[in-house]
Amino acid sequence: MHAELAGIRLEACSADIVEVSARCGRAADLAALAREMGSPLPAFGRAAIAGGRLALCVRPERWLLLEARAPAGTTAALWQAACAGYGVAVDLSSGLAALHLAGAAARAMLARTCRLDLDPCVFAQGVAAATIMAQVPATLASLPSGLLLLTPSTTARHLREWLAAAGKAFGLSSEPDLTLAELLGRDCR
Amino acid sequence: MRGPGRIARGLLTDAARPVGFRFDGRPMRGLAGDTLASALLANGKRLVARSFKYHRPRGIVTSGPEEPCALVDVIGNEGREPNRLATTLPLYEGLQAQSQNRWPSLELDARALTDLVARFLPAGFYYKTFMAPAWAWERLYEPLIRRAAGLGTLRPSPAHGAAPAQTVHDHVDVLVVGAGACGLAAARRLAASGMRVVLADQDAVLGGGTLLNDGATQWREAVCAELAGCAAVRSLLRTTVIGAYGHGVFAALEELAPAETAAHGGLRERLRVIRARRVVLATGALERLIAFPGNDLPGVMLAGAALGFLRRYGVAVGRRPAFFLNTDEAYEAVFALASAGIGCAGVIDVRASSLAADRARAQGIEVHGGAVVDAVSGGKRVRSIEIAGSDGRRWRIDADCLLMSGGYSPATALASQLGAQLRWQEAIAAFSADLDPAFGQVAGAARGIFGLAAAARDGEAAARAIAEALRPAVGAAGPAGVVGAVGAAGAGAVRAAVELPPDPEVTPIAPLWEVRGRGKAFVDLQNDVTAADVRLAVREGYTHVEHMKRYTTHGMATDQGRVGGVVGSAVLAEARGVPLAAVGMPKPRPFAQAVPFAALAGGEVGEHFKPKRRLALHDWHEQAGATFAAAGLWLRPLVYSRQSGWDPVLGEARAVRRSVGIADVSTLGKIDVQGADAARFLDFIYANTLSTLPIGRARYGIMLREDGMLLDDGTASRLAAEHFLVTTTTANGTAVFEHLEFHLQAVCPRFDVLLTDVADHWAQFAVAGPRSREVLGAVVAGIDLSAEAFPFMAAAGATIAGVAGRVFRISFSGELAYELAVPAQSALPVWRALLDAGRPFGIAAYGLDALNTLRIEKGHVTGAELNGNTNALDLGLQRMLKTSGDFVGRALSQRPGMSAPDRLQLVGVRPVDRTQPLRNGSQLVAASARRTSLGYVTSSTPSVGLEGWVGLALLAGGRRRTGERLIAASPIDDAHTEIEITSPHQFDPENVRVRA
Repeated sequence: MHAELAGIRLEACSADIVEVSARCGRAADLAALAREMGSPLPAFGRAAIAGGRLALCVRPERWLLLEARAPAGTTAALWQAACAGYGVAVDLSSGLAALHLAGAAARAMLARTCRLDLDPCVFAQGVAAATIMAQVPATLASLPSGLLLLTPSTTARHLREWLAAAGKAFGLSSEPDLTLAELLGRDCR
Repeated sequence: MRGPGRIARGLLTDAARPVGFRFDGRPMRGLAGDTLASALLANGKRLVARSFKYHRPRGIVTSGPEEPCALVDVIGNEGREPNRLATTLPLYEGLQAQSQNRWPSLELDARALTDLVARFLPAGFYYKTFMAPAWAWERLYEPLIRRAAGLGTLRPSPAHGAAPAQTVHDHVDVLVVGAGACGLAAARRLAASGMRVVLADQDAVLGGGTLLNDGATQWREAVCAELAGCAAVRSLLRTTVIGAYGHGVFAALEELAPAETAAHGGLRERLRVIRARRVVLATGALERLIAFPGNDLPGVMLAGAALGFLRRYGVAVGRRPAFFLNTDEAYEAVFALASAGIGCAGVIDVRASSLAADRARAQGIEVHGGAVVDAVSGGKRVRSIEIAGSDGRRWRIDADCLLMSGGYSPATALASQLGAQLRWQEAIAAFSADLDPAFGQVAGAARGIFGLAAAARDGEAAARAIAEALRPAVGAAGPAGVVGAVGAAGAGAVRAAVELPPDPEVTPIAPLWEVRGRGKAFVDLQNDVTAADVRLAVREGYTHVEHMKRYTTHGMATDQGRVGGVVGSAVLAEARGVPLAAVGMPKPRPFAQAVPFAALAGGEVGEHFKPKRRLALHDWHEQAGATFAAAGLWLRPLVYSRQSGWDPVLGEARAVRRSVGIADVSTLGKIDVQGADAARFLDFIYANTLSTLPIGRARYGIMLREDGMLLDDGTASRLAAEHFLVTTTTANGTAVFEHLEFHLQAVCPRFDVLLTDVADHWAQFAVAGPRSREVLGAVVAGIDLSAEAFPFMAAAGATIAGVAGRVFRISFSGELAYELAVPAQSALPVWRALLDAGRPFGIAAYGLDALNTLRIEKGHVTGAELNGNTNALDLGLQRMLKTSGDFVGRALSQRPGMSAPDRLQLVGVRPVDRTQPLRNGSQLVAASARRTSLGYVTSSTPSVGLEGWVGLALLAGGRRRTGERLIAASPIDDAHTEIEITSPHQFDPENVRVRA
């Protein structure tokens, strides 16, 4: 068995995903509103967990919020109503697929395609970034449980196939899907 | 065994592990740790190749990757791979190598006759000869020349199972290129300063020049052990940095050792993309040749190579070597061979006297001071050497090899790639380069600091400068700062227990580039370029070094002329009568070494060549028997049948025209546009007006590029006062989103508009046909679908099979039709509910082909007509261009040429004989014999609404020609079909059906 076989777990995470964007000049109002709602919005390039939500920011004044599953469209509608005037909320629950990678070798495997510096000292917990992996867009966040990977849903199967192929040498195993609560409650340190 | 063979224990070879291999079919034995070159020399094999142009016998010249001559074909499971360097190819059991470019054999190559007529084949002969007759170039001359000149033969085995190459991205604070004394010292210092370091070396072991000097062994072993224990330093062996790019990006080729290849399922190489904040170029210096008649005879090689073969593999390259040199450094080979018991035939030193010569004489070695070699005799190997003294005296000595050294040129390729200018250093008679400190440092022999101890000191100094430069940024970097904590403590504390021995004092070089005499004196051994060729280039006017390079091909072979590059420049300088410093060297570009294409492709081959975008219903389509078409990255259902021919397509299209069909149109681009300025922004983006669109309505719109040409078409629906949904064609989804983002950010930055790409979120289905309203009636709740309440181009939110979605009354087919959008995760239940509701009406799923049939006979355009060369007028859409207000492309759409009467315009075409087919791409001509194309058929299909085939075409002045008859000529099908020109809207031109 090769030394790279340190084991990586790949799981899909089911969550509602809403993109909340600040309208022109209203980022501060939106941030205040989010604080009131128990989800402070992280700074650019960061991810934060609060109130059972994961928020990450990889575009200026835009945040991706991952929340527990609710009937289709309701989470986005809630945010859209709440932030009226300050921002807009667009439902991307079906537009993005969330994958989760855990295991010591996950970063080494991703270095086969990811141009970001994934050294734990650099891509430390709480860091988020948008990049390209296996030729498709990917948003990556370092969480206590491992690495969260968001990718467009229509290329998610391609990325999973790529991960499965690259992961062979690292002992990658595909595990059953996770809920967001399970993911955020887990600490794999 | 003929020849001198193995005489000592090599640093890298294991005498206990013999390895069997074959060269040109002949079985031979080497040792584990050998390269093919060292094993061939150990077997006494001198003649290993034939030259590129003249088919002259050639031997091994160097012991490393700069080798110009010893290229071989390797035959293995993966087929026949050409141009492998014998000097770097690790020997393995069963290796089969074959010499190249000879017929019938290496010993007796018939094409060596070329050498006899060489005077008729000077550099660039092919620019001047073989001009007539014109037909003969392609049919006769070129095939002949290609067969006569060249290197190996690529013959991949179709069944080979090699793993594709890997790409790996590495990030470091400092990349140290080269692990000689300089690189090792630099890496050790950087590690002590807390830096993340990659130390890359092309060799199989660390050490570089220290491997060739017994006195440096202890130091090397101590430093290597120290580095091995340091987690922040990664040593990459067999890794050649092949490209230096901007922003600290470097490309390195890591070639796996045979044992590693076996352990990694056949993986042979990794392309490493290394991002470094700084680089230390400790790339050393390359020994160079001297151009003299016969300097290519097997047995003439670099002195340093002989030293390398002896130390590394225990192989003596000859039994009675002579040396021809001009530096004290080259005497290391003289002393090493002498102490290994090899009798020296004599040292020909260009300098009248030197410190090294005195030491040699003291050891009883004969040194001919102030002399040069002006001829080498021997057929296929060196037998004797003719020497000319400075006093005009000539004499001959017998020798079986001639080990030359014309001095050392710093390896400047990577620094040059980073924009460094070459600087002439008189003291070492060589060019060197200094890096901008923002990139890093050049250190050691790479900048002309020769001697192991001096190079190590220089490497350490370079590392200290870099550590100093990076330290302030480290503290500010927060979590990203991996340097720092150790840095402060470690600075200045590095002192090895073992020191390198002091470098001997040396007498400076006496530059010598060429000894002129009778016979060919080569400056580029791989491309067979002689000093005379360089002079010819000057006579022909190619006096700039870059022009000379291209005229003669000097330095353009796979070795990039590394051992003779500066010699060519020197000959050029002499011919031009200017100093060498003024001539310079040709600019080296990536890659610094030949790279297999497979390594560049990496893992993105076969299944992973490009991503596949799959529909949410991909599996359903597959189970329904769909044949898929690749459209961009998308896999789209083409037709729900595996049967070829038009019948299944027409069956699907007929279902739409006669009753109802359903298509998955989720591939359309979809952009959510919100904000107070959303309507204003869309007015600017679209060529037609969107701000007047009422809430709950959709409008067809066209977008132009800045140059006035059509970019895309689609619909925009107003969902609320400040909320629109824009759809684009499948092909242009990403391009249109970028177009909108660009104009929002760069042109309208103050607009209150937010754009979100929602293409993947919404699955969208077209339900089309006269019975479509009835199908929707069973599934859609929350809206009145009657023609009055929900007319053509209406849009509304609705509950579809229990799922919150949107309904649009939009038609691409020309029928009463709707598009229903639901979140992609609910696509399957909604699709199934629609199929169930449609079953009483015989609903059929239809694919891309049927969609095309319907739109072509209706005259709707897609990518074939929106091809980037058409404008609104060409497609008959001129009435959509608004006359007031600005929009993207407005100004340039009003250029006079855009309305020129002879532009290609969209028309419909039909064969006069209705039984005849049409073919896409057919050229429209006035008569069969005419060769002037008036236009071409862009789309065609058998019709379901009309008799026979229908098509769309772009025809010069097309709209004026309605009713005319032309010929649609398809020469590749040998088809000439008489067609009539019609309106593009051939089926239901009054648009009655969509408004039903």
